[in-house]
Amino acid sequence: MIELIGVSKHYATNHGVRRVLEDVSLTIPTDQSVGILGRNGAGKSTLLRLVAGIESPNSGKVVRHVRVSWPIGFAGGFHNNLTGEENMRFVSRIYGFDPAEVGQSVREFAELGDYFYMPLRTYSSGMRARLAFGLSMAIDFQVYLIDEVIAVGDRPFREKCEAQLAARRDHSSVIIVSHSMQTIRQFAERCAVLIDGRLELFDDVDEAARVYEAA
Amino acid sequence: MTQGATQLSLSQGLAIQRRVINAIILREVRTRFGRHQLGYLWAFAESLFWILTFAGLHYAMGGSPPVGMDMLGFLATGIITFIMFRSTVTHCQASIVGNRPLLYFPQVRPVDIALGRALLEAATLIAVFVGLLGANALLIGEFDVDAPLVVLAGLSAAWLLGFGLGMCLMALSIYFPVTDQLVPILLRPMFFVSGLFFAANDLPTELRDYLLYNPLLHAVELVRDGWFVGYHSHHVDLQYLAGWILALVYLGLLLERFARRRVELA
Repeated sequence: MIELIGVSKHYATNHGVRRVLEDVSLTIPTDQSVGILGRNGAGKSTLLRLVAGIESPNSGKVVRHVRVSWPIGFAGGFHNNLTGEENMRFVSRIYGFDPAEVGQSVREFAELGDYFYMPLRTYSSGMRARLAFGLSMAIDFQVYLIDEVIAVGDRPFREKCEAQLAARRDHSSVIIVSHSMQTIRQFAERCAVLIDGRLELFDDVDEAARVYEAA
Repeated sequence: MTQGATQLSLSQGLAIQRRVINAIILREVRTRFGRHQLGYLWAFAESLFWILTFAGLHYAMGGSPPVGMDMLGFLATGIITFIMFRSTVTHCQASIVGNRPLLYFPQVRPVDIALGRALLEAATLIAVFVGLLGANALLIGEFDVDAPLVVLAGLSAAWLLGFGLGMCLMALSIYFPVTDQLVPILLRPMFFVSGLFFAANDLPTELRDYLLYNPLLHAVELVRDGWFVGYHSHHVDLQYLAGWILALVYLGLLLERFARRRVELA
């Protein structure tokens, strides 16, 4: 499970302070897949970054009891002057995985061919995303974080990604944020709603949908 | 731990940090030295360039090294110790620039990047020290090292001063970006007051009293005291040096904890 304990997050903007989360305490289960619904600009991506540990809350804390992925689809964390292979080695090492094994599975999955051995600055955005996705599949995360739909590459590759995620359902779960009910239903068994800095978890996706539509 | 990684025991935490620093060092080796066949030789080039330049100047002006030292050894001990300090400062300070994407991974913190880079710097400059002073020993036929561990202590002191100061500056530059422009200007005088071109024993008393406020001069004196059989420094104050190191490293690690949360990711 992932615990949010009294988590507040706010940003200073030109129009004053924007509060994304206000004193949120919630336990997100990781034995079931969880959807998080929120309007555009409600702070869904920020919430995901807090869960991933990319950002720290202004107060409170996030405790991850399982190995949580970075938000999938976002190909940050790579160095442009290093090759795909060198980036893969770095990420494997910091998660304590064998670079040789991870490398083989990334090569097969990401379909980068010789580009795997070229610096990342030569990659298209689709290629970066494929590398990032392949890497997140090769490292055995217990929870995969997904921001909106998986907008990776072309349609066949997207289907391959979704199939890959589905195949992992028995030992991995998913936390997906979206403003689309349809996307949430596709992935999630439970659902939380993020409105005005408050995050509420419902046992039932339909119930969450009602609250979300009413707000 | 407000940072909020998985709740870990100290040993698990250390194991992760070791893994991360190891990965950072291997990656830095690639980014810094990996692109050229002769990449690693560049590390020697800077020291060698300064040593030969100042050796040339000294010979041209007819200067002589302090009693108990040879000219090249005198310059090399001072210059390499100084570069150990300065290079560690600049590499720690610039940890985040160019490595920002790494902070995207929760187990990587600015201090890990700085430590990885600083350790690589230490290993490189120790290799430079051994390589160049070894070559000089062959040249002058003098193979006795007075106290190798004292030399290592002096180099370590220069490194720790650099690490502490570099961490402070890295944290400050997150709050005040202008720090990055000021640092080279502030470090430049250190080149002239850290004993690269003089030995503390030879200075007039009043001047020496002032210059000995500079902790790096103590580190350079320590290196020379340990390296040269014929030179004994009367002015190394280990407590004073250790005080500076503790203060700088403590302050650097403290500031990093505050600054860490302020780093803006893409």
